[in-house]
Amino acid sequence: MLFLMVKDRKIDLLDVPLAPICEAYFRYLLQNHREDLERSAAALAALAYLLERKAWALIPAPEEAEPEGDDLLEEVEPYVQDFHPAIVELLGRREIREKLFFRTPGQGELPYELPFDTSDVTAGDLARAFERLMERAKPDPVTPMSKPRRSLTEMMVLVMKELPADFASLDVIVVGDFTRSEVVWWFLALLELIRLGQAEVSVSETDVFFRRAGHETD
Amino acid sequence: MRLIDKVEAVLFIADSPLTADYLASLIGVPIFEVEDVLERLGGKLQNNGPLQLIRIAGGFQVCTKPEYADLVAQFLQPQKHKLSRSLLEVLAVVAYRQPITMGEIDEIRGVQSDYGLRQLVEKRLVVEIGRKSSPGRPLLYGTTQQFLHTFNLQSLEELPDIFGRKAFEAIGSDLPPEQPALPTLESETGGLVEEEGAD
Repeated sequence: MLFLMVKDRKIDLLDVPLAPICEAYFRYLLQNHREDLERSAAALAALAYLLERKAWALIPAPEEAEPEGDDLLEEVEPYVQDFHPAIVELLGRREIREKLFFRTPGQGELPYELPFDTSDVTAGDLARAFERLMERAKPDPVTPMSKPRRSLTEMMVLVMKELPADFASLDVIVVGDFTRSEVVWWFLALLELIRLGQAEVSVSETDVFFRRAGHETD
Repeated sequence: MRLIDKVEAVLFIADSPLTADYLASLIGVPIFEVEDVLERLGGKLQNNGPLQLIRIAGGFQVCTKPEYADLVAQFLQPQKHKLSRSLLEVLAVVAYRQPITMGEIDEIRGVQSDYGLRQLVEKRLVVEIGRKSSPGRPLLYGTTQQFLHTFNLQSLEELPDIFGRKAFEAIGSDLPPEQPALPTLESETGGLVEEEGAD
């Protein structure tokens, strides 16, 4: 209701304290976090709208002097058509430039592209493994307070502990309940371990298998 | 060894434009001597052989003369990367109005420019150069040295004066002090030729 009244400009938002409304909303979420997600989201969107409107209302409007003379011309934003001569000029210059050939720069080693060998495993295979894991994941619960997230390094340590010595599929490695965001974080750590050569991956016709690096294939 | 030969040797091997200032410090001679030598070297190359010395992207670089373009292209077979009309439009707006936010580009063009801007950033023609001191602190974009190189420009001053005054006179003055006005030579010209198809 408050949202509609503000939207219709029937009340001045500056006169309405929003802090108690926010607190009431958070209490509602805490008590009813398993209720309808759509309703919770709609209420959050309405609250965010009110907060934004109030924030804008609180910002002092700059006093703009009326432009005079030359200033008036400078204030006018150009239209895109005004840039046409520049585009023509750029095209002409590019045409000239294409007739000039320079020494090819040496291919420096990209710092992030460390060499790692995944033999015949493609990005598509890894994506398939990720997709299967995501299918088993549950949606993240709606909680008003965000959980402290582990760093990627911490996550890599955890994944390393869970990786077996012999090749196994993710169905075997990852057990129990987990959420989608946990899967994303877990799989990112796994990819990073593969990139650094600390984990190995192989593929069969049906699945993708992972293990800790440094073990001979059985 | 003569100074002109030293300068020619370094320029011959350089894969990005070198400034007279850099050459002077590298060889250990005053800059005015290098400037004089660069002028003589330019004349010498212009009159003889297939190479020429040009001023580009704020420095000097040796390249082949246009009359050898077909032959060299036949050898290198460079891939052509044409810029679409919309990309050129975004690029022109950024070049003239930089530092500029994506919202301001959208306002001028009347359509969304996020895709075009992203493409230009990927092509290293445009780069983030800071944040605007306004609500939300939106990113500011500007052109790179590779932009100058790709369009055969010595500096932005060479662009046509389409607004009755140089729109880019104030470039750098609005930027936060910690943000460079343009990327460094090494970081931005490095990938140019690779992108152009090893020309």
